[in-house]
Amino acid sequence: MYLVLPPLAAETMFNVGSLPVTNSYINTTITVLGFALVGFFVSRAAKKYYAKAVSPAGFLNFVESVVEVMLEYCDQVTRDRKKSLQFLPIAGSLFLFILVSNWMGLIPGTGSIGIWHLVHGEKELVPLFRPGNTDLNMTVAMAVLAVVSSHLLGIMTIGFFKYLNKFIKLGDLYHALISLNPVKILTAVIEFFVGLIEIFSEIAKMVSLSLRLYGNIFAGEVLLTVLASLIAFFVPLPFMALEILVGLIQAVVFAMLTLVYLNMATMDHGGHGEAEQAH
Amino acid sequence: MFDLISIAHAATEAAQTEAQSGGVLGTLGINWKLFVAQLVNFSVVMWVLWKFVFGPVGKKLEERRLKIDKALKDAQDVEKQKTEFEAWREEEMRKTRTQAAEALTAAQKEAGQLREKLLAETKTEQEKLGRQAQEQIKAEQQKSVLEIKSQIGDLVILATEKILKEKLDNKRDQELVKKAIDTLK
Repeated sequence: MYLVLPPLAAETMFNVGSLPVTNSYINTTITVLGFALVGFFVSRAAKKYYAKAVSPAGFLNFVESVVEVMLEYCDQVTRDRKKSLQFLPIAGSLFLFILVSNWMGLIPGTGSIGIWHLVHGEKELVPLFRPGNTDLNMTVAMAVLAVVSSHLLGIMTIGFFKYLNKFIKLGDLYHALISLNPVKILTAVIEFFVGLIEIFSEIAKMVSLSLRLYGNIFAGEVLLTVLASLIAFFVPLPFMALEILVGLIQAVVFAMLTLVYLNMATMDHGGHGEAEQAH
Repeated sequence: MFDLISIAHAATEAAQTEAQSGGVLGTLGINWKLFVAQLVNFSVVMWVLWKFVFGPVGKKLEERRLKIDKALKDAQDVEKQKTEFEAWREEEMRKTRTQAAEALTAAQKEAGQLREKLLAETKTEQEKLGRQAQEQIKAEQQKSVLEIKSQIGDLVILATEKILKEKLDNKRDQELVKKAIDTLK
């Protein structure tokens, strides 16, 4: 019996120029093509039904129902349909992409179809496909995109300086100093340092988002590999069912957290407003 | 048993290879080129879904929701207006009916008064007329009595005259009779 655990990093299959194409990257690219196809069909259906003002049918109906459900989930966080429509492209794309990537890892062939490579002087079967989210590059890319877009949307919504004041609270400090109230000044100084800590929390957001997803999906992959090599038939099935759940839950968690970050970033209630009310 | 040993072996082997790669980020497979490539991949997915799915479908759903809300509100308004109109109509009908009843009572009352008045007038007129007629008759009577009286007087005078004349001219009569006999002979 020969057992190879999937390594932490995705394996390089070949190089395109200086870009190492890993097995995870192959999976991701396939997913991207799939989504491009979906986009094409939806846009075709939209042209067919929306342009003629006919009630939608078939595929478009399904897409609409999915979008509707997602919008309702967004509403639960944002409590505002306009904001939901604004955030849905980011959070919804994350959800769908992560979900599809995770579930693609459960398709037979992932991890078992491979090319025999010479690794560390030993001939090993390097799998051709590896779930997209078992590559930290992918999850970090998504986390960075989510957090950065939350900052950009925050700046766009409440203005650059107001947004900056959430982290470097010079504005609040100034207002407190003007009021000459020692308690207020003390609070503002403490708030100022809290604001500085917020900057680190933004980095923590990215790290936690990416590592959570990567860890869960990678662990699932390892678990399935180990179980499959111990007893190949029937025993891994409940674990695969669990992996379906984990894939869904992780997609929901990632998308929901992103939604919360987006919502928090675009909300405009800091100490500044309270200070103005107190005047 | 062998399986477990092989798993343990594989795990240690994997750990060793990772240790050899050097650096935490390197161990986890972070590679900035791959990072950018995956970022681009996901950005493409996001763009496609935004442009072709969430954008148009979301807009359409929102439009439809607003449309349905508006239609429902309109229907409610129409229903409200209908009820209001119905109440107004009922009220008007009731008012009209009361007015009509009042008018009818007033007319009946007026008619009664008019009738009584007319009756009274007729009665007085009748009485007046009757009185007038009686007076006229009386006057006529008196007049004719007077006339008769005067005529009787005349007659008496005439008759008296005639009688008196007859008595005075008796001789003449005899002569006349004689003359008449003579002619017969």
